[in-house]
Amino acid sequence: MARRGTGQRRHVGLQQLSPFAHTARTFLGPVKAAKFVVDAEGRESVLASSAVRLLEGLDLPGATGQLLSEAVRAQHSCYGTGTSTLLLLVGAWSRAVEECLHLGVPTPLIVSGMSEGLSSCIEAVASLQLPLRDVLGRAGHTETLPGLESFSVSLCPFPQVPSDAGLIPKGCDLKDAASQALTVPSLPGRTAQAPGAAGEGLSPSPPPPRRGQLAGGPRRRSALTHSRHCRGLALDQPTSGAAGAHSRACSDLAELAQGLSHGDGDSMRLVAGAARLQHRAASAHRGGPAGPSTFAISRVFTCCLPGLPETCSCVRPGYVTVVSVPSATLLEDLQKQPLRVLLMEGDLTENYRHLGFDRSAHVKPVSESTKRLQQGSPQSPWADHVLQVLIEFEVHLVLVHGRVSEHLVEKCARSQRWAIGSVAGSVMQAFAEATGAVPLAYITQVNEDSVGSGVSVTAWRRVPSGVGDGARRMAIVLTAEGIHLVTAVLTGPATAQMQSREDRFWTCANRLYHALREQTVFLGGGAVEFLCLSHLQVLAEQSLNKGDQVCSGGLHNTSSWLASSLALYRPTVLKCLASGWHSYLSALVCNTAGSSSEPEAQTFIQYHLQHAADSGSPSSYILNEYSKLSSGVFHSGVSNKLEQIPRVYDLVTPKIEAWRRALDLVLLVLQTDSEIITRLEHTQIKSQESEGFLFL
Amino acid sequence: MSRLEAKKPSLCKSEPLTSESVRATLSVLKGIVTSCYGPSGRLKQLHNGLGGSVCTTSQSSALLANLSVTHPILKILTVSVQNHVSCFSDCGLFTAILCCNLIESVQRLGLTPTTVIKLNKHLLSLCTSYLKSEVCGCRIPVDFSSTQILLCLIRSILTSKPACMLTREEVDHISTLILKAFLLTIPEYTKGHIILGKSIIVPLKGQRVIDSTVLPGILIEIPEVQMMKILPIKKSDSLKVALFRASLCGDLSDTGKGTVVVNDGLSLENAVLDQLLSLGRQLVSDHVDLVMCQKVIHPALKQFLGMHRVIAIDRVGVALMEPLSKVTGTQPIGSISSISPSSYGSVKDLCTAKFGFKWFIHLIPNKATVCSLLLCNRNDTAWDELKLTCQTALHVLQLTIKEPCVLLGGGCTETHLAAYIRHKTFNEPESILKDGGCTQTELQLISEAFCSALESLTGSLEHDGGEILTDMKYGHFWSVQADSPSVVNWPDLLSRCGCGLYSSWEELNWSFLRSARHPFAPQPCLPHEAMDSANNLTVDCFTAKLSGLQVAVETANLILDLSYVIEDKN
Repeated sequence: MARRGTGQRRHVGLQQLSPFAHTARTFLGPVKAAKFVVDAEGRESVLASSAVRLLEGLDLPGATGQLLSEAVRAQHSCYGTGTSTLLLLVGAWSRAVEECLHLGVPTPLIVSGMSEGLSSCIEAVASLQLPLRDVLGRAGHTETLPGLESFSVSLCPFPQVPSDAGLIPKGCDLKDAASQALTVPSLPGRTAQAPGAAGEGLSPSPPPPRRGQLAGGPRRRSALTHSRHCRGLALDQPTSGAAGAHSRACSDLAELAQGLSHGDGDSMRLVAGAARLQHRAASAHRGGPAGPSTFAISRVFTCCLPGLPETCSCVRPGYVTVVSVPSATLLEDLQKQPLRVLLMEGDLTENYRHLGFDRSAHVKPVSESTKRLQQGSPQSPWADHVLQVLIEFEVHLVLVHGRVSEHLVEKCARSQRWAIGSVAGSVMQAFAEATGAVPLAYITQVNEDSVGSGVSVTAWRRVPSGVGDGARRMAIVLTAEGIHLVTAVLTGPATAQMQSREDRFWTCANRLYHALREQTVFLGGGAVEFLCLSHLQVLAEQSLNKGDQVCSGGLHNTSSWLASSLALYRPTVLKCLASGWHSYLSALVCNTAGSSSEPEAQTFIQYHLQHAADSGSPSSYILNEYSKLSSGVFHSGVSNKLEQIPRVYDLVTPKIEAWRRALDLVLLVLQTDSEIITRLEHTQIKSQESEGFLFL
Repeated sequence: MSRLEAKKPSLCKSEPLTSESVRATLSVLKGIVTSCYGPSGRLKQLHNGLGGSVCTTSQSSALLANLSVTHPILKILTVSVQNHVSCFSDCGLFTAILCCNLIESVQRLGLTPTTVIKLNKHLLSLCTSYLKSEVCGCRIPVDFSSTQILLCLIRSILTSKPACMLTREEVDHISTLILKAFLLTIPEYTKGHIILGKSIIVPLKGQRVIDSTVLPGILIEIPEVQMMKILPIKKSDSLKVALFRASLCGDLSDTGKGTVVVNDGLSLENAVLDQLLSLGRQLVSDHVDLVMCQKVIHPALKQFLGMHRVIAIDRVGVALMEPLSKVTGTQPIGSISSISPSSYGSVKDLCTAKFGFKWFIHLIPNKATVCSLLLCNRNDTAWDELKLTCQTALHVLQLTIKEPCVLLGGGCTETHLAAYIRHKTFNEPESILKDGGCTQTELQLISEAFCSALESLTGSLEHDGGEILTDMKYGHFWSVQADSPSVVNWPDLLSRCGCGLYSSWEELNWSFLRSARHPFAPQPCLPHEAMDSANNLTVDCFTAKLSGLQVAVETANLILDLSYVIEDKN
């Protein structure tokens, strides 16, 4: 067993963490840059476009690296978003904390000062929360969901067109749209192009019937539709009113979805479509799991079809899957009628036994005659038995969670029955809910109550199959009356891209899910971080002025001398905390607004910080200036018509939790003074490395 | 043909403590435990260097369980601390540091071990009798009619474990939950002996600490799929429960190395399943509403029970079996062949609940002292630390109910005790010297070593270069910034003593702990003073600390007494 100190002046753990700030920079904001993780010989490479995938691809050394990937994984599994923020803040804060150590701030004071500062910031940013007002409810009642439609229309036909002023049709009434697109050169023009939705959100209470009327007209697949839509809203816009230019609530799904898309409009369009489909299904059948304002993410499923162009991506109600069709006529026959369905929890093979069954017992069958000692022969009575059960209960479709015996599939196909294997658990559950079928483990358990009904099968499209793959592979759609399941079909030309495509979809889905679950969002695009910065400035000044009278903060041990010297070090520690958001904002500014250099971004942030401080109330400064935001980041040059700039939203709890997690990790590492490696012998460490190790 | 090898002679080392390598390893161990001590203690990352899970901790139990020490002297030390921790949960680091300090400070004196051991024992009994006596100045009685002191006790434990990563609000929240959980384990009506119940800690990692909660009864985690199959219950008053320890999986019992020979055409599986189904029929005819099984229930049996509106929960796990049997009053059933009606029990109600991403069945007992503490923390390593801390706190509360008093924490008990010992041995050495065997000088030397071991233990609370003072009235612990000018107005620099009982604005005299002082009799604190500032006191568990003191002194004596280490080299 060996012990290694992490060092006093140079904290090894913190040094290991700090490079990640730079790595995570490019994952932030609407314009993301993917990274190739290449192995040492350069043979294998993985495309990583999120913090989770990046850390999966990297082999992080040491205990600190492991804690980092643990934190990122935990954030991802809890919220499915916010990991890049987490990674960046971990890096930035660990660098800042190191700086604090250099300045001689005692460790407990860094810990207490930073966690106290963060708590205070979290309280302060509550003022930037916007409530959601029955977003899905409205989306469900208006048939066409105007904002989203125009949004998606504007997105789909020109996915590859680079953003420039020419993209904005001349007929558009939005005079400033072009200049907006210009001010955000690095932003793909499509996100800036759905201003209609944003305009709506700005009116204090958009009258839904009126909106429905507007959208009720013939939908034209051109930008004219949305320009008209915008004009209509411009008329709707109240010129006066107590609520002012920035109403606080967000009450439109399209607006919300766009605000949460963070530059990934393509994926968010699919997600919003899924939410709408689910809501429709839920309002048609009350009492389902999707309540009035929730988005049941567990009833969303993705199906990846590599090889098709990206524009083919869509959402469909029901379950879309790619299967090899056992016989040509089977699908045609099954399409004609609603089917009775059976759900099987495990494999549908003869040798399958339920989980936990121990077959280790040595059982040896003996027989007096030598005839029947072959098992698993093609004429196995088991497959006959299964088929008989299916015939008896008139089951034509079997959805199996695990594998299906191929022999059985063939046998079933001959009698116009179909067994589909490898069906995801959530899909099984959705079908169980909708059809009344009960998932079973064994075919012998089948009874009338466990069979579901009303499933329809539709052939959807042929799927490009791999070279030499002779099987007829088809994408089929399975639906049932009242099913909440929605499948997002993700397509893309390159297989290597599919993983990140799916990740992006789920990130957007998680964003919308959490926003709808919490019924509140933050004003995004850096506004929250900016408020944190100016709040910290105020705090630092306060502690300078008040001196000792500031309470002991987060320090648990109030009787220690540290408590009395807290005030002395507080400004330093708060500055250290602020540096995390500083680098977050500057990364965001660099990535979004096209400030090419970091100093430029820093000046820009400083400029606004100064103004916010001068204004006296930073939060109202932000709310006022927010209209001047261009796609989220404070922009000094824009003085256009304010209402037409789309808002950007952020999630509340996932964001705050990412902050807390990042700080927890940094502080955990900061407080660690040594690493104890168990079960390590003297001989296992090379002589040159053994320096710094102590043995017990 | 077997080969015989000549046995190697055993290796015998005399005076192991004088060896340089033993001293070095002892000081490494001391360094590890000392740096962990107290609320600002530093954490240790424990891992196997091969990518195994990382444990970040500053608790003795986690630390010592993972340390693999080689030298017998270190083994004696770690094993006795571990034994102490397994009995009392708290004060493990205290014990380890004190033991190391005692060994170190006594070694410098060069007295014979017998004298040292004898006097150490005397001093220990002086300490214990003082701590147990009515006049003890560092002990506060616990008033169970108010939560104040109990909350202080829990909070002191939580804040001394920085790896839990709790903010102040979270500390308050968790303290309240722990106290609540503890109170739920106390039976309402008792005759004679009180038998405390059990708090089960249910993990919910990844969630916010604030989302932690306490529920009476038992939570059983179940998969979401199973959730759907649980039908609403029709009964109103109470549910009849059968609890199986035996597997209802339908597999054959282990045949060991033997082989079962079966006539072809006979299916043993079907035979077992038939048996299970007849068991199911019996359960249904006995009007059982809820069947729980430690292991797996065969899907067919589950289906059968479900059709008869009996709820079946399997894979409960061995950890929940005892509390389940307690809560429901059942006798866990060990065989599937026969069930006596007396083995059934009952629960008041059952409902389903979702916390975080997990689904649970919540069993609400009729009257039982079992509760579930649903514990959340952001990351795994902090959760593990928090769980250990909560277990410690719950255990400490149990110890406190037996011995309803607490000791002042934050180093005050140690400095106070040292002042008392100094005063006693200086002014009344006769009581110790009366049975002869040692001189007054020896007594002075040993008592000085003993007291400085205690005092340097309190010095381990300081990790950031602060200095420690003690006041000359109560003998409490005060911390002050390093390099303070020697002539200062102390009240300006100091705020409160370590335990939080006294503020610096009282008329007190201070002196550095490391400087020489004239022995004085430390004043006891007055009960009403304790109550006045009881809101933010730092207090320690009386029983655990007392035992820690004893274990430390006795282990130090044992180690000092070692004169040979004989090692079998074969």
